[in-house]
Amino acid sequence: MKTRANFSTISLVALVVMSFTFMSCEQKVEGIKIAVAGPFTGNIAAFGEMIKRGAELRAKEINAAGGVNGKTLMLVFEDDAGKDKEASLVATRIATNRNILAVVGHFNSSCSLAGKPIYKRAGIVELSPGSTNVRVCEGSDWTFRNLYRDDFQGGFVAKYIKNVLTDIQKIAIFFDNDDYGRGLKDGFTNAAQKLGLDIVATEAYDRDNTDFKAQLTSIKAKNPDLVFISGLYSQAGLIASQAREVGITVQLFGADGVDSPGFLEIAGDAADGTYVSTPFVFELGGSEAQRVAKAFEAEYGVAPDTWAALTYDAVGMIVEAIEKGGENRKAIQKYLASMTTPEKGYEGITGLTYFDKNGDCIKPAYVKVVHDGKFVPAEKQMLDTEM
Amino acid sequence: MTQFLEQIINGLVLGGIYALIAVGYTMVYGIIQLINFAHGEIFMFGAYFAFFCVTTLGLSFWLALPISMLLCALMGMLIDFIAYRPLRNAPRLSALITAIGMSLVLQNLARMIWTAKLRKFPVETRPSFLVANKIILPGGAQLSFLDLFIIVLAIGLMIGLNRLIYLTKIGKAMRACAQNKVAANLMGINTNHVIAVTFAIGSALGAVAGVMVGLREVVEPTMGYYKGVSAFAAAVLGGIGNVTGAMLGGVILGIAEVLGAGYISSEYRVAIAYIIMILVIIFRPSGLLGKSTATRA
Repeated sequence: MKTRANFSTISLVALVVMSFTFMSCEQKVEGIKIAVAGPFTGNIAAFGEMIKRGAELRAKEINAAGGVNGKTLMLVFEDDAGKDKEASLVATRIATNRNILAVVGHFNSSCSLAGKPIYKRAGIVELSPGSTNVRVCEGSDWTFRNLYRDDFQGGFVAKYIKNVLTDIQKIAIFFDNDDYGRGLKDGFTNAAQKLGLDIVATEAYDRDNTDFKAQLTSIKAKNPDLVFISGLYSQAGLIASQAREVGITVQLFGADGVDSPGFLEIAGDAADGTYVSTPFVFELGGSEAQRVAKAFEAEYGVAPDTWAALTYDAVGMIVEAIEKGGENRKAIQKYLASMTTPEKGYEGITGLTYFDKNGDCIKPAYVKVVHDGKFVPAEKQMLDTEM
Repeated sequence: MTQFLEQIINGLVLGGIYALIAVGYTMVYGIIQLINFAHGEIFMFGAYFAFFCVTTLGLSFWLALPISMLLCALMGMLIDFIAYRPLRNAPRLSALITAIGMSLVLQNLARMIWTAKLRKFPVETRPSFLVANKIILPGGAQLSFLDLFIIVLAIGLMIGLNRLIYLTKIGKAMRACAQNKVAANLMGINTNHVIAVTFAIGSALGAVAGVMVGLREVVEPTMGYYKGVSAFAAAVLGGIGNVTGAMLGGVILGIAEVLGAGYISSEYRVAIAYIIMILVIIFRPSGLLGKSTATRA
């Protein structure tokens, strides 16, 4: 018995050691490698799925058209599960792999923030197709994003409520207690107060929790006309259905974190009528966006969402930087950092992207509404980018 | 007032759920001094078993609940048999580490089988009697049938468990094992059998809690960790090893968490519950009811 146990221990150790050895053997590749980092598993994996497909579709199209400088574009998918701790590990793994030239990601603001110092130290570009927290690009020349910031988005939602949903006066905020949820809540609160809207309740929730009834009961007691959910789709889906259960029947408004087919699936009927703000709507995009939507649907059998579109563009931007800048990490950074005017910007399916000195960009926000179990563009849009 | 009443109801439901899970921790600890960290995962599997029964097998909810309890009871006994029984006479730390390992294995197993996607019981599989009806209390507070059902079920099961421990032969054997396993063995009690029954009962109660949380909230692989840690805190608060203490601890923690979120700050929802636990432990290190070993079972 004793010897058997020892033998199995030894073989287990040997197996582990062997698998590590195999993992660390980096193969020499004739191609261009870029990493795509996002939440491919975990309870917000619906975002990751769309990000992966958006990136894959773009890579497939690029390779079909002859690749990058004649070389095959290869994507390395790295899963951060939407958690900042995982993101640091992922970032270190990417940064230390010299074959990888740039990173498209991360998705969650807290993950992009966790990766930022690591990417900066290693000198590799981090181009986020989803992080909106105000601080994401601050203090690093290596971090960029191709969508708006939360101070803009928060202000936009407040203005939309004031100008379009004119019956609304009293607003309750329910926010995810992480970088994204808190930052957006602050941006929204500032703007709403300036516009003369009443914030009657501000409640927080923890993303690991699934019972929101205590906070929703408090919100209900304040009789708001609208509940603004500053968080991600899975919790927002549960919040929508639990809100109806505790007797909150008023308008729900979410931000881009709620913009995912996952929200509709979890909330079910309770999703109906919910407004969301978002960086892009396929229906309102140009002819190229329509072509990509068709190609995406033909490939995967489902319609693409906003995040697939932004990732599609982000991969395109990195490839353009490689082709026009050079095949190394520094050249990519220099090329992106030089895109400071609309003329030098990148025209993608989600619109024109060019950066300010932080690496932030100015792009409009759109509004969608859930109608009969589907997101459709809201009737009234406000596409100016004035803050 | 309406709000306060509704919050108390929310707290009682959460407390009942914590209590159902906490007795599983505390019963096992009472008998073999093991903190069974895998218990939270059994709770999670309880929710998934019921979910599987109503969706894939198309069974009615009322059939899925006892099936899930039975499966979890078997699972609890199986875990004891393969993971803990070989370590019965090993140092306590070995068993504790094994329990943590078991918890990780089960959590990742669930993730592999069902993925990390949040799953809600489809509308047509929910017991319509429970989810569609609500009582309006005087003052306008609402009490849904589901919440009422969870509270009543938790109280009923707790009373039943209490009777079982104090009035039946197996209960007596459990109390005997809790006092002194060796002596109990000498008196002709098959301690391994008693321990297996303890695991089965604790796991079945955990399964009930899992199904209720699945129905009221959602089913996902990490639910066992989140609720399990709180329930463990409830068991410690009540005095680990003491079944009545676990019930009391669960209710106190549930109400504290909800009232803390409702009236103090929702950002510190969980922290408030833990602060209460820490305060109790400072002044009563063995928990509210945990003092003499004689009451353990």
